[in-house]
Amino acid sequence: MRVVVDLNRCQGYAQCCYAAPAHFELRGHEILFYDPAPPETARARIERAEQACPVRAISVEPAGLAEEDAP
Amino acid sequence: MPEDTLFAEVLDPRNRADPYPIYARLRRTPVARQRDGAYVVSTHAAIRSLLFDPRLSSEDLPPSRRPPTGNPLKDWLLNPIKNRIANAHRPLIFRDPPDHDTLRGFVMSEFTIARVNDLHGRVAALVDGLIETCRGRDTVCLVDDLSYPLPVAVICDLLGVPEQDEPQFHAWATRLATALEPDARRDEEARRATVETFDAIADYMRALIRQKRRQPADDMLSGLARRGTRDRPAMGDVDLIATAVLLLVAGHETTVNLITNGMLTLLRHPDELARLKADPERAPRVIEELLRYEPPVHFRSRKTLGDIAVAGATIPKGAPVILLFAAGNRDPERFSEPDRFDPDRADIQHFGFGGGLHYCVGAPLARIEAEIALVALCRRLRDPKLLADPPPYRPGASLRGPENLGIRIAGIL
Repeated sequence: MRVVVDLNRCQGYAQCCYAAPAHFELRGHEILFYDPAPPETARARIERAEQACPVRAISVEPAGLAEEDAP
Repeated sequence: MPEDTLFAEVLDPRNRADPYPIYARLRRTPVARQRDGAYVVSTHAAIRSLLFDPRLSSEDLPPSRRPPTGNPLKDWLLNPIKNRIANAHRPLIFRDPPDHDTLRGFVMSEFTIARVNDLHGRVAALVDGLIETCRGRDTVCLVDDLSYPLPVAVICDLLGVPEQDEPQFHAWATRLATALEPDARRDEEARRATVETFDAIADYMRALIRQKRRQPADDMLSGLARRGTRDRPAMGDVDLIATAVLLLVAGHETTVNLITNGMLTLLRHPDELARLKADPERAPRVIEELLRYEPPVHFRSRKTLGDIAVAGATIPKGAPVILLFAAGNRDPERFSEPDRFDPDRADIQHFGFGGGLHYCVGAPLARIEAEIALVALCRRLRDPKLLADPPPYRPGASLRGPENLGIRIAGIL
């Protein structure tokens, strides 16, 4: 699974950090650090984070697809 | 019906069960001036742009400002002191930056990810216990049986308010939540009742904070009440009381609507209820769509600090503005088939928790409570059926939800 966050959209609401604290972390109120390739076992938590984002900045893609897109 | 009285219709209790047709009429004029001078904003784009506009202020006459008693001597003797306290009671929901940001910072430093996520087990145990009490009955009264007691127990836990004191402030919380409604704030009698309630709850909080300072525990109130140091200044006592009251009232009056509206919506869409029952992983989508489709808070008020041009209109400086979140959530310009409940929508960007710098502090908590409660209700109530549709509603037009929700059941699993 591959996670992409549109950091231009992110407003630092930190809802993802509550939903999946092991994979999203807000440092200094506005800089978001996240795990771009979380394990499959974290899917439910990652989906919670995706759904909870008030600005819909998080997208979750199947790993294979994203790798093909990568340069 | 002229558009400048449409908001009065929203406030009319007769329209509480289904305000959405009025919202649709309001959206035809995205910024609609009402006869009393307030501007109602009802489209998704206009609400969104205003939520991020620093010229829109949340500062307001505090609802707790003590009105004159009618006896000038008594006003002179009593009110200056009481007014000073009541006027200073301005919780962060009614504050602008920079004060708002400072106060919110204090709250967020206690509303930690660990503390919120640690509540999962406690919420699940509470939900199980509350459902268990319905065993042997053929009807569930959802508000009394679960939607109200659950968030109350959780917020008491989190703040560190002894649960045995709850019956005492049950009525206070309802009274103070009513004070947020536009009607209540104009009515002198209602304002007086609000002030008296505020005095009572403030006295209670003051005593509790004193006790937390003597014997700190691992709860939010102990953390917020901690004496300041040079590196870490503390919140002033008046702000501390205002914050504690705000969190307590918010915990009493909002999540109750999310859970009850949620179950009502699922019972009206039995296919969705069955899908959630079969696949609890759908819960996050269901909850977000609920926050769009039947949000617990329908609107909030602001005031303009300057002329603001938005959606082809200009709101003059000093005008009251009503951000009609629930109307923006059903805007067909933003959502296809907005009146359809569809958890599988690709893009549920709702105002269920507001937005911008006043975004609901308790959102993560509300999500946990609603998810655990709705999944458990779907899985454990056998053959649930609505007893009355629409159900009776509580009076509030903003904090809107059923007074109770009777559900006939064939048993508890």
